[in-house]
Amino acid sequence: MKRTIIPFGPQHPVLPEPLVLDLILEDERVVDAVPTIGYIHRGLEMMVERVEYTEMGFVAERICGICSFMHGMGYCVSLEAIMNVEVPERARWLRIIWAEISRVQSHLLWLGLGADAFGFENLFMHCWRMREEILDIFEKTTGGRIIHSVNRIGGVKRDVSDAELAAIVVKLEELGKAFEKTANVFGKDPSIRHRLSGVGVLSADDARAVDAVGPMARASGVVMDTRLSGTYGYDQVDFEPVTETAGDCLARVVVRMREVQQSIGLVRQAVEKMPKGEGMPLENKPRGNPVGETYTRLEQPRGEVLYYVKANGTKNLERFRARTPTFANIPAMIKLVRGCDLADVPNIILTIDPCISCTER
Amino acid sequence: MDREAFLARVGEYHKEGRRLALINVTTLVPAAAPAHGAKPEAAATEASVGETAAPDQFEITWVFENDKDATLEKIREQVGPADIIPSISEFFGAAFLYENEIHELFGLNVEGINLDLQGQLYKTATKVPFSHAAVKARLEALAAKTAAAAEAKATTEAKA
Repeated sequence: MKRTIIPFGPQHPVLPEPLVLDLILEDERVVDAVPTIGYIHRGLEMMVERVEYTEMGFVAERICGICSFMHGMGYCVSLEAIMNVEVPERARWLRIIWAEISRVQSHLLWLGLGADAFGFENLFMHCWRMREEILDIFEKTTGGRIIHSVNRIGGVKRDVSDAELAAIVVKLEELGKAFEKTANVFGKDPSIRHRLSGVGVLSADDARAVDAVGPMARASGVVMDTRLSGTYGYDQVDFEPVTETAGDCLARVVVRMREVQQSIGLVRQAVEKMPKGEGMPLENKPRGNPVGETYTRLEQPRGEVLYYVKANGTKNLERFRARTPTFANIPAMIKLVRGCDLADVPNIILTIDPCISCTER
Repeated sequence: MDREAFLARVGEYHKEGRRLALINVTTLVPAAAPAHGAKPEAAATEASVGETAAPDQFEITWVFENDKDATLEKIREQVGPADIIPSISEFFGAAFLYENEIHELFGLNVEGINLDLQGQLYKTATKVPFSHAAVKARLEALAAKTAAAAEAKATTEAKA
């Protein structure tokens, strides 16, 4: 049969980010997909040659506008490990709170985009209205809605008062209740189920074989989440990864919806357990230049991110590498797209929640 | 690198149920060309990281993760631009992406990739941007720029 090659992206109505795929079709069926990354490659990792390690955290934050807080946190955690700097307890809890709020806003953003892609514009607006409220919390507590710049090597720059934290918990719990109604539409509407159920199925074995991460793997029943290792204070909260077993597009939606509620619960736990009071230490400043190397893992909204940092005693790092979750999920995406109908490609790609800014760094 | 021993070890990690977390390449900068911003004492600290700093060498690290206990196992090799690196995509399905990446960005030769993207993964303006020649040129340009700025500042101060 004659093969046709269709370019999918970088500009496509369903994609907010410039993913580039060449879809190879036989009739309406996709037989192969060839990815290209680099359309917006910015060489951020290479900037360690020019930017001093004390300022590189601000560059790391700009890898992506959705996971910006956690990129900054991952960079700082890496340098803290190399320079043997202990982060004050309140700062550690504040990082958990901001990280989980980041996850809520990322999932709401994605759920809105998903709703828009399968034709539910009102649902899109509901999700993004809720996300605006989360961004308001960020603006109030960090000063920035997208780029926060509160992480420092050795802690955080800003404190959030106990009263403000209590108000945030109340706000998030109200938002969680409102989100239940929205989640019902995603989970129960027959046309959404028809569009997503049984489409783009990734079995647990396949998810393991292609080293999928994050909600992508958890929707296939693979229990993996770097928060399970208990690092950065997660050992002090009750936490079980959200998993589903169907492995299809709908399961990936459901995992993210449940994670919104889970993250709200984690923020509440963190506020309850963190040390209270004003004027507590938030930062232990490092001394000298870093020497050594480390690998740091964090659970971003899209899955595990891995940072490799190598320092040689100068002001400039020798190597900074961020292996982002979308990069790790590209093999899974190609596996899912092979053999599917052309009409299902947008939904399959969207349910991976691809972040091309992260991937192309 | 010892190809047989390397693949045997990768095979063991695969049997243990580990997953591929990262394949990372670092362009080793020779001691004669210290990184931008290096202080005079940098040479000693560079050595403490454990590099030979041989010319035209790359350091590749394969990182394997165990989700059950969150441990990382690493295999580290130093290779030159002409060396052939065996692909591990036979064991780990995601390896092809990293292997195409290190071929296109660093110019390293990887043999037996199960999905060879034929140079289509990255479409950068500079071909092989992390090769030794490209890195050296960038560092030299940066050093020249810094020296020129320092000279201009010194001249301005002298005039004042």
